[in-house]
Amino acid sequence: MRDYIVSAASQINAGGGSNGFNPTNLGLTDFSLVATTLDTNNAYKFMSGIEGMDRFGTGPIRSAYFMLSSTELQSDFDALVGQGVLNNWNYPTNASALPSEWGSVYNIRILTSSEAPVARNAVANSAGTLNDVYYNTVVGKQAITHINQDGFSMNLIYRDPYYSGMLAQNATLAVKFAQAQALTQDTAIRNLLSTRLSNLGV
Amino acid sequence: MAEYSRLARGSFTSTGAAQIINLPFQPSYVEYFNFSLANTAATSQNVISGKWQYPMAQNSAVIEGYNATPTLIYDTVSVGGISTFSAGQMLQFGAAKQIVASTKGTTTSFQVTAHGYKEGDVVLFEGLFQSSTTGMPQMNGIPFTVITRTDANNFIVNWNSNNAAYTNLAGSPASAKVKQILYPFLYFPGTSVISAITTGTTTTIDTAEAHNFVVGQQVAFHIPSQWGTVELNTIPNNLTPGSPVYAYVIAVTDFNTFVVNVDSSAYTAYTTNIAVTAVPGLSFPQVCAVGDVNTGGVQISSGSALYPPPYSVGIGTTRTNTINGPAVLGSFVNNTSQGFIIGAGAGTVLTTANIVGVAGNIIYWRAQLADIGLPV
Repeated sequence: MRDYIVSAASQINAGGGSNGFNPTNLGLTDFSLVATTLDTNNAYKFMSGIEGMDRFGTGPIRSAYFMLSSTELQSDFDALVGQGVLNNWNYPTNASALPSEWGSVYNIRILTSSEAPVARNAVANSAGTLNDVYYNTVVGKQAITHINQDGFSMNLIYRDPYYSGMLAQNATLAVKFAQAQALTQDTAIRNLLSTRLSNLGV
Repeated sequence: MAEYSRLARGSFTSTGAAQIINLPFQPSYVEYFNFSLANTAATSQNVISGKWQYPMAQNSAVIEGYNATPTLIYDTVSVGGISTFSAGQMLQFGAAKQIVASTKGTTTSFQVTAHGYKEGDVVLFEGLFQSSTTGMPQMNGIPFTVITRTDANNFIVNWNSNNAAYTNLAGSPASAKVKQILYPFLYFPGTSVISAITTGTTTTIDTAEAHNFVVGQQVAFHIPSQWGTVELNTIPNNLTPGSPVYAYVIAVTDFNTFVVNVDSSAYTAYTTNIAVTAVPGLSFPQVCAVGDVNTGGVQISSGSALYPPPYSVGIGTTRTNTINGPAVLGSFVNNTSQGFIIGAGAGTVLTTANIVGVAGNIIYWRAQLADIGLPV
């Protein structure tokens, strides 16, 4: 599904950052632009907002789309805290926060994963310095779907050696499923491409 | 002992460049012979056959060819031999190569010493700066099909750089590199960057890489304002709220040109004339496949498979079959694949040979994946 979206969804290059690459690192205006684009295209948001509470260090959370980003961008997000970016520990209540949810900015809630797509050393600036390109996928509710065909939903198959080969040497263990992914509405999904501002920790 | 072995055979007509063979497995043994050269008089540097077996190094081979005498000898290949691949993941690149120079024009030419690309390969440029304010960085990050392989050191891509915003590169600028996208069509049709738009009662679109669209395909446009033709953009349909306005492909001219059913006579002209200073944050004009409204699969014709698989067209009219079963024309196809590559390298002794022969040679091959390897 990840690579399929990289191939098939349209892209916006981040321009709100300051590192001079194309795309730039993520800036606040990039989050705003993507959310505005999806709103204009009548995409449905995934989450309703969280009302503010009388708790120190917290703030209300807007209704939001989901964005999947690489964990390698978390230090860039940290650098934006206090400028409109809230970590999930600063939600009025994080009861609705997902385990992989890093935080929220404007109308986007950010999920992070080490498996998010990254193109290594895919851009260079005029000095020849290389940077990685991150595919931050922002989705509306109706953008993608997952189709399981009837009668083929995840069969676990085990055949003992007697049935698996004429010499009865090896057993067979397999999972069989027939499923497909589809973009149901191209206008409700965007890959927000960005580079990274901070050094990559290893 | 052949309980789980995989065996395959086939043939192809050499183009003189490395040849990719897709298989439903990643072979552990490959051999081939060049029928055309075997059927001609003994000639120095003609390679008649070659072999590779795991765990030999990737891109190596043992070959048999004629030396200067000419006598048939064995030789080895260390670069550009036989390799296997498993294309299951996007965003895999070949080695970055230094760009020596570029020449702007209605198409753009690049000089890269021994680039090794063939027509139909997809490449990605980075750092196309002559200085911090000049060069061709507008083209950075766009996947381009190599439309013409001028020679071993020059190739051309489909991009109009014939305007004031572009400056030729010269003297091997340190930042200017190009690398091949190893598996460009793992999922298709997908998103392509638009390289030109011809407005009129119908609208003709040129793309930087192969679009893989078919007639009847629905497509969406996302064109940032700098590029001109914003009226094509897929925006919500005011008559049917919430429904985007898609265009339909009414003709496919070639692998990177197609026509849609949009009367764009009064639309703003498309332009690639964008200043270098505007590059940071510049988004590209794109056309995306959004679904399928077609029926039927690939036509069965004389000599075709009984159930022809969906195929991509990377260059010209050359069809590259996927390993899938039949599919609706124009629908998204998962093209993850495995197989092997016969490179275009030379031998250690036969130093000016080409192991994949010259254009027009008929090559027969066999490949297998063994049950057991000793040692593994």
